Amino acid sequence: MAKPVGDRWAQTSLEAAQPIILVEALTKRFGALAAVDGVSFEVRRGEVFGILGPNGAGKTTALECIEGLQRPTSGRTLVLGIDTAKEPERAKERIGVQLQASSYFEHLTLVEILELFGRMYLRRIAPKELLAKVGLSDKARSTVTKLSGGQKQRFSIAATLVNDPELVFLDEPTTGLDPQARRNLWELITALHREGRTVVLTTHYMEEAQELCQRVAIMDRGRIVALDTPTRLIHRLPVPYLVRLLTSTPLPPDQLERLEAVRSVQAGNDGYCLLASSDASKTLPALLMWLNGRGATVEHLEVITATLEDVFLALTGKQLRD
Amino acid sequence: MLWLLFLANLKMVFRNRQALLWALFFPLVFVVVFGVFRFDRPTPVNMAVVDHAGDEVSQQLLQGLQTIESLKLDTKRSEEEARRALADGDIGYVLVIPAGLAQGVGGAGAVTLTLLVDEAQGPQNQMVRSIVERFIDSMNLAVQGGQRLLGMEMQGVNARRVGYFDFLLPGFIGMGVMNYAIIGMATVIALYRQQKILKRIRATPLRVTTFFSAQVLAYLVLSLVQAAIILMAGLFLFDAKVYGNILWLFPLVILANLTFLNLGFIAGSIARSVEAASGLGNVVAIPMMFFSGVFFPTDTLPTALRVVVQYLPLTPLLDALRGVMLEARPLWEFPVALGLLGAWVVVSGVLAVRIFRFD
Repeated sequence: MAKPVGDRWAQTSLEAAQPIILVEALTKRFGALAAVDGVSFEVRRGEVFGILGPNGAGKTTALECIEGLQRPTSGRTLVLGIDTAKEPERAKERIGVQLQASSYFEHLTLVEILELFGRMYLRRIAPKELLAKVGLSDKARSTVTKLSGGQKQRFSIAATLVNDPELVFLDEPTTGLDPQARRNLWELITALHREGRTVVLTTHYMEEAQELCQRVAIMDRGRIVALDTPTRLIHRLPVPYLVRLLTSTPLPPDQLERLEAVRSVQAGNDGYCLLASSDASKTLPALLMWLNGRGATVEHLEVITATLEDVFLALTGKQLRD
Repeated sequence: MLWLLFLANLKMVFRNRQALLWALFFPLVFVVVFGVFRFDRPTPVNMAVVDHAGDEVSQQLLQGLQTIESLKLDTKRSEEEARRALADGDIGYVLVIPAGLAQGVGGAGAVTLTLLVDEAQGPQNQMVRSIVERFIDSMNLAVQGGQRLLGMEMQGVNARRVGYFDFLLPGFIGMGVMNYAIIGMATVIALYRQQKILKRIRATPLRVTTFFSAQVLAYLVLSLVQAAIILMAGLFLFDAKVYGNILWLFPLVILANLTFLNLGFIAGSIARSVEAASGLGNVVAIPMMFFSGVFFPTDTLPTALRVVVQYLPLTPLLDALRGVMLEARPLWEFPVALGLLGAWVVVSGVLAVRIFRFD
């Protein structure tokens, strides 16, 4: 089924070089409230792009403006070179949209629903192949009501693929799922990525953004407060590492503080020492050498890297999830 | 595309067992209850008197007849009107007084009055006949001391006897179709919105109008099946009488159902949840069920209420249904009802489009 990426969606070289999504100063107001407040960003062809933020940050509204489902108050949204506020119908042919927590017809089987959605794009599709792709082959004759939460979400992704879109929007695809179901979905999203599709997803799980996304935009109160690769976002923190250390004999904190890149030292539980470091690659060699010189035996040593959760906390002063 | 969507909708409508059960169960319960118990209303002996003479003797005759308590007289109809009312079962008897009664009585031989009766009403006819004959005898006695000046002959007419159950059956068809269309459509629209199915469809290139057209078509097909089943239950289980061409019933049901579907669509758009949609649908449907003449003719309502009720969409549907089914008249003889139904389709359609929202 997989054709070589590149001619799959028949892009011209000019098209391929342009960003697949271009958002300029997007604003959406509901009365006095600016749900999306002057947001600009680009999504590159072939990447998994995450929009991370707490509930109510404006992720869904921004996404629906880009998809052409809501009309922006001002600003411009270009998808595949099409202005989705002006020509939403033309864009819809080429994108796949999964809405947050949407359902499908209760009284049709999965195969029937997929066939119906295929016909909405005037296509004849192979429903069984799509179901196999999302791991639901054995549910072909079931109705949606018989599916578990994770299966529903996977089916809903299958439904976004009926028109073989090069760009897929997933709005909180894993919210409310158990860890196993979430893993399954991550694998599916990674598979879409490997087929050369561009995926834009929203989430409020930072580990999800970290695991799946090449780039992440962090949104809060309708604005993008940071946008970069997860690694670089984390490295922007003043203290992205925490070294947890347990030795046979207690260590003098004032000397530890003088080690390279160490910003502070605290005493943890059970005799642990906690070293906040701006650069673990510098702190670790220095620490090991120093310990060696003192003849101290290391009983436990670990480096904890900051997460996007910490990035969000540092940027907004609040937790991602309450 | 429309065809495929229509088929899909048809599948959904017929697989929704619960809703389907209500679509048929509710009206059929009424058919069975009224069919079994036969709440036929006792009809007073209504008699139209057609006075072709209009002289002093006929005046005396009328005054005399009015004193008979078991007869309810109606003297306002022409002979033609009276005969039609008898044929339609609106009145039970017609007494025709020939022209020139006074001269006839003065001359030789008896003048003959004609009593028109519905042949199907055997026992009652004998009773009424003897009442009238006894009255005529007493007149003869009073006027001329027993000499027969007045005579009477009875003429049978083949009337369409419309029993209460026959009257109810078109009502149940209209009621069943209305209830299912309004409440079914209201809950489906609310459900589709609540589950974001409408929004999901908007994310595809399919036009929303195509989507709803397919749905309306599926519901129209169901309403025809529904009407046919209720009709057959009445005809075959309880021996209801239908005098007209029952095929007229189907275009009427479709025309009226467009309005009911629009009303359901509006209720589903206004309501915030499926439960609220069902409640709102009932608020629209139940008053019509009671006031638009499902169980009783709207003539029996107080005038003020009747003025309002005649404009509700169920009223012209029932009027036209009874017209074609019980009076055997063709559909085009109901321009007012058809006009009202058409106006409702347009008004409710415009309103439905304006009030609709995706989320």
